[in-house]
Amino acid sequence: MKKLPEDLDIEGTKTRMEVAYGAGDGDEDAKAIVAKSEAHIGTLFEQTYRPWDGELGPRWVRNYAIFRHHVYGLFKGSGHRHYHPMVRLAIFVILLYSLLPVLMLFLASLSSDSFMNDTFSRLWGINRYNLWGQVLGYFPRNLCCWPMLTALVVGGMISDDRKFGTSAIYFSRPVTRTDYTVMKYVSVAVVLGFVIVLSYFVYYTSAIVFNGEGWAYLVDTLPMFLGGLIAGILVVITYTSIGLALSSISQSRFFAAIAFLGVIYGTKLLALLIDSQFDSSILYVLSPYDSLAHIGQWLLGIEPNYDHPLAFSVVSMLLYNAASVGLLTYRVGSLEVTRE
Amino acid sequence: MDEKGKSLAESVWTRMDRKAGAITELTIRQLRHRVSTWVVLSVGALVMILLLAFYIDGIREEFDPIDNDGDSNDWDNDGYPEGQEYKYGTSDWNGDEFPGSGYYISTGEIDWNDNNRIHSGNHTWEGTGLFDAEWIDTEYSGSRWSGIVDWNDVETCPEGEPTVDWWIDWGSACLYDDGSYFVSGKFRASGTVNAPENYYIEWGYYTDETDIEPEAPSTYIDEDGILWDGEDVSELYVASDCRIGTYDSQTVYFCDGFEVDDDGDCLIDPNDDNNNGIPCDVVWVLDSDKNEIVDIRPDNNVNEDAAESEFEGEMGHRTFIIGTGKMAFVMMLGIFIPLFLALGLIRDETENGTLHYLLSKPIHRAEFILYRLLGYLLLAGTYILVLVLIMAFVTSLIAPGDSIVRLSDYPVWLGVGFATILVLAAYGALYNTIGLIAPKYGVYFCIILGIWEFIMGLFTMTLPSATVPMLSVSHWALQLIDSVVLIAWPDTLQYTQISSAFGVESGLPFFWQPPVHTLGTQSPVVALLVSCSVLVMITLLMMAIGQSSFKNREIM
Amino acid sequence: MSQKTPAVVVDQVSKWYDQVIGINDVSLAIDGGVTGVLGPNGAGKSTLFKLLMGRIKPSQGSVRLFGEDPWVNPSPYRRIGYVSESERMYDWMTALDFVSTLARLHGMTREEAIDRAEHVLDFVGLSDVMNKEIGKYSKGMRQRVKIAHALVHDPDLIILDEPLHGCDPIARTSIMSVIRELGSQGKTVLVSSHILEEIERITEQIVILNEGRLLALGNLHAIRGLLDKHPHRILLTCENPRELARKFIAEKPVYGVRFPNEGQLEIQTNDLSAAHAILPRIISESGVPVEAIDNPDDNLEALLGYLIGGA
Repeated sequence: MKKLPEDLDIEGTKTRMEVAYGAGDGDEDAKAIVAKSEAHIGTLFEQTYRPWDGELGPRWVRNYAIFRHHVYGLFKGSGHRHYHPMVRLAIFVILLYSLLPVLMLFLASLSSDSFMNDTFSRLWGINRYNLWGQVLGYFPRNLCCWPMLTALVVGGMISDDRKFGTSAIYFSRPVTRTDYTVMKYVSVAVVLGFVIVLSYFVYYTSAIVFNGEGWAYLVDTLPMFLGGLIAGILVVITYTSIGLALSSISQSRFFAAIAFLGVIYGTKLLALLIDSQFDSSILYVLSPYDSLAHIGQWLLGIEPNYDHPLAFSVVSMLLYNAASVGLLTYRVGSLEVTRE
Repeated sequence: MDEKGKSLAESVWTRMDRKAGAITELTIRQLRHRVSTWVVLSVGALVMILLLAFYIDGIREEFDPIDNDGDSNDWDNDGYPEGQEYKYGTSDWNGDEFPGSGYYISTGEIDWNDNNRIHSGNHTWEGTGLFDAEWIDTEYSGSRWSGIVDWNDVETCPEGEPTVDWWIDWGSACLYDDGSYFVSGKFRASGTVNAPENYYIEWGYYTDETDIEPEAPSTYIDEDGILWDGEDVSELYVASDCRIGTYDSQTVYFCDGFEVDDDGDCLIDPNDDNNNGIPCDVVWVLDSDKNEIVDIRPDNNVNEDAAESEFEGEMGHRTFIIGTGKMAFVMMLGIFIPLFLALGLIRDETENGTLHYLLSKPIHRAEFILYRLLGYLLLAGTYILVLVLIMAFVTSLIAPGDSIVRLSDYPVWLGVGFATILVLAAYGALYNTIGLIAPKYGVYFCIILGIWEFIMGLFTMTLPSATVPMLSVSHWALQLIDSVVLIAWPDTLQYTQISSAFGVESGLPFFWQPPVHTLGTQSPVVALLVSCSVLVMITLLMMAIGQSSFKNREIM
Repeated sequence: MSQKTPAVVVDQVSKWYDQVIGINDVSLAIDGGVTGVLGPNGAGKSTLFKLLMGRIKPSQGSVRLFGEDPWVNPSPYRRIGYVSESERMYDWMTALDFVSTLARLHGMTREEAIDRAEHVLDFVGLSDVMNKEIGKYSKGMRQRVKIAHALVHDPDLIILDEPLHGCDPIARTSIMSVIRELGSQGKTVLVSSHILEEIERITEQIVILNEGRLLALGNLHAIRGLLDKHPHRILLTCENPRELARKFIAEKPVYGVRFPNEGQLEIQTNDLSAAHAILPRIISESGVPVEAIDNPDDNLEALLGYLIGGA
């Protein structure tokens, strides 16, 4: 691996993007403008271009810079993608909320009262239903937390680039559109995963730690845990796909966010309406959340709430992802490097 | 202006009118030129089409009557439904016993401790013993249940004492060298039986068969119908014997003995579960005005197979209208259309810098907000009204009922449209104001607010009397629909009670509950007025806040 | 419609945004004719116009348009046309739509509005393209549409914020002639620019703003005359500058000469008009062929340089 040069301006005024792409790295002594002969009307500038012949960082370093740009912005104020303080606050609150069972388990482990212990562990302890609920429970996680999280994070991801023409930052550098799309996707997925999957992980681990469980317990519950983990990752992937696709077709972050909420809530509500009136759960395949919940129930081995076959839900989830990713790549492929 | 020779008589009002017209028109044209508007509106229309498709499909099925007590089933496959067998007293699990079939009458027995253990005759036998046969009916198949001796598969009896040294299965026989049998089971034969000690055998005969036509299973569906037709509650009071009492510390009327056990399955073994002294009846508890059912208490086996198909269609139809009105119109269109269309009414103009053109005209900024909202409402409101009327027209054509067009639905549909438009106005003013007060934060705040409204709407549907949802706009709109429904169809309350009292499956109790905010009068009109005024007040308040904020806004 | 009060009165107005001062104690009264508001970028021209249009509220002092406070009361807008510096318009509308819709905001009927809109679009020279969408217009055409919208109700006061910004020379010329025409109709016109030359071609009456302060107010040449006590330069490009310099140095208004480049002579004077008066005589007497005469000080930067330096 190439060692970073000592004089690389990491904490200075330049953004990390600039550091990564070598802007200013070796360019300082390049002379560009030389006034030569004088013409009758004015001065003719002869320009000598000196192509940058430095060594281009490897592709993953460049892509990592994009990734970092988006993810670090959550924690650091400057030099990275700007996340609105309100967005940061909301993400923080959602993260705290999703860690609530951990607190409950901790409280339960403090108390020696057996009734308390029993109640707490039934309500918040590890079992199939609670593991499922940690990532896929409808209220309040999938009714407000996860969609809100996705809407807030994903809203401006691509639409801002379209609105302000900031895609030029990427495309005027050695970044392909594929790199751009993939790194945006990964960035969003990591932020969502940070809340959804990480909190799930912390919940499981803390349950083991607080209850002082041993290896046998671990071995017993691991398949369940893995099932829930896959379900959580599917949630992250599906929400990211849909959210980014909506972001890529809209010019304002707000439209993307609201459209995402509209897709999640609208389909759910419609399916609920049809289900409660006409006793047909088939419309749940339109709802990304319900498809995921159905798959999650299968992964964790819970009785499904849905009448239609699992295959429908699997196909629906795959279709949603495929259509979203297809739309996303198409839109990014035709993205004009300009303010639209 | 005056030099241009404009009429001096032209009043301020006509000028304001023109300005309003111009801004409203501009707003509508702007919205029309946005792709997102069309996307949102067509998605809304698509949802309605989908709902209609399901509705048409659901109505066409004609609500198959449900056999609640299952007595239309022919469990023993003898061609007679359980109800008929029950009526004739034949067994519903014995395929050889059915109305008109001969049935077995026992005429004698040898008990396990009787002294005389020998009996001769031509009988149908059941038990265990040594049998010296004169004649055997090898074709006998008296019962579908186990125990019929299979005479075609008889083995030789082993050495030793039967029942002590060896034993044979129930329903089989073995043959001794002398031609007598040892039998265990049921058989028909003529001969002499010698029952071993501690064993039992009985004999009897089958009665003659008569020919009774099996009744159609459908006779036993809805055979114990609800006599009240769901039209006028006071009918109940007139038709039955009512007495004053208290229920839940209210003065009520208990109307006894009104319902009848049509199929008579209660009268066979009469009970008085509702403790009114009359067996096999239903007590209808009416409120002090005799116009509302408070409770329904049937005796066991009365109305156990309610004639719900009379109600099912009507209830499904009403549930559809109410559910669509609440979920599709108020919660989906009502929440999302303003988010897409109203938030940017003034904020977008400020961001784009096009506000300068409009504000350099002699228009007060407060007026400006009002006209902008008006333009948005005109577009969104027309859309909602058109959708509502299409839905009303289609459903009223294919709905159950005698008349070709159900006119009584239209007030409800219009109420739904009205509630949705009020919601659009309230949200429009709210989001617009948020966009004005906080141009940067507002967007995020609106997203969170939208989610809040959505959740509160769901809460209102399940727990209408909870306090927290009162802090949302959707709560009041849903209450408004509840009130309109009760005004247009006063018997909806009875429908929900019938559906829960007789176990008729229906989504009605989920989608509709009586309005809460009646200020203690129990009057839906009061609830309607309260909900309307709250919605209008929210709209006006939000507009006032927005106007005062906009008036003092410095526009860069 | 009393004309006793001036159209624009700005009385000791200051406007600051937090720590930044946009306008600092400016007093003005303008009525009739075209007035150029000059100043470099960030001088406070737009802030002044926004104060006039009631977009922002003065931190101190008062603004009156036809005697009314525009922040409180939008009624003076009846008599004002405003062209903002904003570039954005409703691109999906045709010019006729745009102008007539905005005209209706003055209380005109639809027919009146269309009538007036056609008239003003013709006035700014867009009558043949007025049914095309604004999104397809060039920058100069867009500026003219903006001017048309400001003129549609026949206002007495027209405020144009950088109307020539970003236009090509042809568009500039036509817009300038429109503005001159308006001035000659007796309307009060305020035009802002940061380029002196543009303003010079439109009007001689100017207001100079710099860093929020009012630096000068009045006739351009009069202002320059006021600066006589400051040295001016005249730059001559000729074949034999030293020959010519000898002739000039003898004259009274000239106090120094310089040779900035080969073939160039710079004459330094305290009295520009006197120097210009003697210039033709001396050149013709000397017989030296002169290629060009330049006033390098005759631009905004130089003017500002003197004004600030002299303050």
